[in-house]
Amino acid sequence: MNRRIERYRNILDFALSSLLRRKGKNLSLLGMYTVIVFFIASLVFFIQALKREAALVLDGAPDLVVQRLVAGRDDPIPVAYGYKISAIRGVSEVKPRFWGYYYDPVTRANFTLVASGDDPPGRESIYLGSGVARLMHLNAGNYLSLRGAKGASQVFSVQKILASNSELVAADLIQIREDDFRTLFDFPAGRATDLAVSVRNKVEVPTVAAKIAHEFPDTRPILKSEMLRTYASVFDWRGGMVIVLLFVAVLSFVILAWDKATGLSAEERKEIGILKSIGWETGDVLILKSFEGMVISLTAYLAGVCLAYLHVFFFSAPFFEQALKGWSVLYPQFKLAPFVDPYLLCVLFFLTVCPYTVSTIVPSWLAATVDPDTAMRS
Amino acid sequence: MTKSRGRFFNKTMLLLTSCLLLSALSVSAAKNEPVPKDAKCPVCGMFVAKFPDWNASIVYRDGTKIYFDGPKDLFKYYTNPKKYDPTKKRADIAFLGVKDYYTLAVIDGMQAYYVVGSNVNGPMGKELIPFANKGDAKGFEMDHQGRRLIRFQQITPDLLNTLE
Repeated sequence: MNRRIERYRNILDFALSSLLRRKGKNLSLLGMYTVIVFFIASLVFFIQALKREAALVLDGAPDLVVQRLVAGRDDPIPVAYGYKISAIRGVSEVKPRFWGYYYDPVTRANFTLVASGDDPPGRESIYLGSGVARLMHLNAGNYLSLRGAKGASQVFSVQKILASNSELVAADLIQIREDDFRTLFDFPAGRATDLAVSVRNKVEVPTVAAKIAHEFPDTRPILKSEMLRTYASVFDWRGGMVIVLLFVAVLSFVILAWDKATGLSAEERKEIGILKSIGWETGDVLILKSFEGMVISLTAYLAGVCLAYLHVFFFSAPFFEQALKGWSVLYPQFKLAPFVDPYLLCVLFFLTVCPYTVSTIVPSWLAATVDPDTAMRS
Repeated sequence: MTKSRGRFFNKTMLLLTSCLLLSALSVSAAKNEPVPKDAKCPVCGMFVAKFPDWNASIVYRDGTKIYFDGPKDLFKYYTNPKKYDPTKKRADIAFLGVKDYYTLAVIDGMQAYYVVGSNVNGPMGKELIPFANKGDAKGFEMDHQGRRLIRFQQITPDLLNTLE
């Protein structure tokens, strides 16, 4: 037993020194390999974290949102619809929601104004999202002037800055009282932006939605499960844009592995010949080559994954920033909550380490079965 | 004399009220307590905590509780207690708890209305769907193509066999 371990140790020792002998070649290979693993792992981590943010956002979403449509466009819904909807069996609560967008010409940013919530601010006061506060350099106690729909400016005092566990949601948020919201936007009386419907038994949600659609043909009920499905299909790592990026990354890796696999240099071939002539068995040569492959691929995998973790969770994915930033002025300060799925790490491992190690063995095996004399002469 | 009689009366009242309170407490505890994670349905063997919207329970006078993953399994147990636990007697049952389909609140299983043959399935397939009031049960029967609206007394082993 001890001799066997000793033998493997010696072969590993030889493998490491032979890797060091071809320092330049192996280091460039390791670097390339690490970059590819880094890219794939960053992508996977990033998608995973975004999915979690989305789940956080949707966690508080109502079971059912009812919007009114006029000529296929959203229109304020009569609050009176809510009374009839709450009489539907299974509905536990109907809440009218008031929200909209406010364009601020000075900062050229769009804010989301929300006038629902259990703890509304006082009269002519507002709560600010962290992004708005940052952009406008406002603190609690300062004043913010908003231009109303009729042209007159309205001054609001900032009561507090909202803290949120998801920066994505809270960045552009301004929370306001319902009556202030109505006067600011000259919102029609007796109407709400939409209705949030809670259903106690989740099995009953589709039935309730069907009843609402039947009773109010001018409305559109949106199920929470539909919202979840939409987010999932956008962020799923096996679908959408991600699959294209992932495909490109994996393809480049395959090219790398292919190159390595088919090209065993004359020097290496000669080395195998010499090893065999001084008494190494084919099996030993294969172990040596697979050790070499494993050392490179494991190092690259670990380095790539660690760098990707730092990239995504500590530096907020600067390489993906350009792709993410759209036309908006107000950006959430991305600090994604670190979250790593072991399943994805395993997938990544089998996608990179295994094929590489295997691909190094095949040509070595071919070389190792050739007569040492021919190998050395070639 | 009157004083001591008064004291005795007071003591009995206290004892009685505390007894009533205790039994009421044990029933209300059954209503609000979450199902223990390792509780298994004695009829089908499934973990009950996985189906929080469906679970049902039997509370005995000695305070023991048995959890089921749905009303159907509760009634299988109730109509044939000898098969599952010969030591328990039906007369010792203090409370049958089932969950109202719409409110998901625990209600008295002996007073509830049940709809059978509907298109809503429980963890064990076809179910008796419980309701606290008749109006809800009728409405559900209409919405979900229920076959029959029944009361507790009408639940028999033969009926349960049709729900397999």
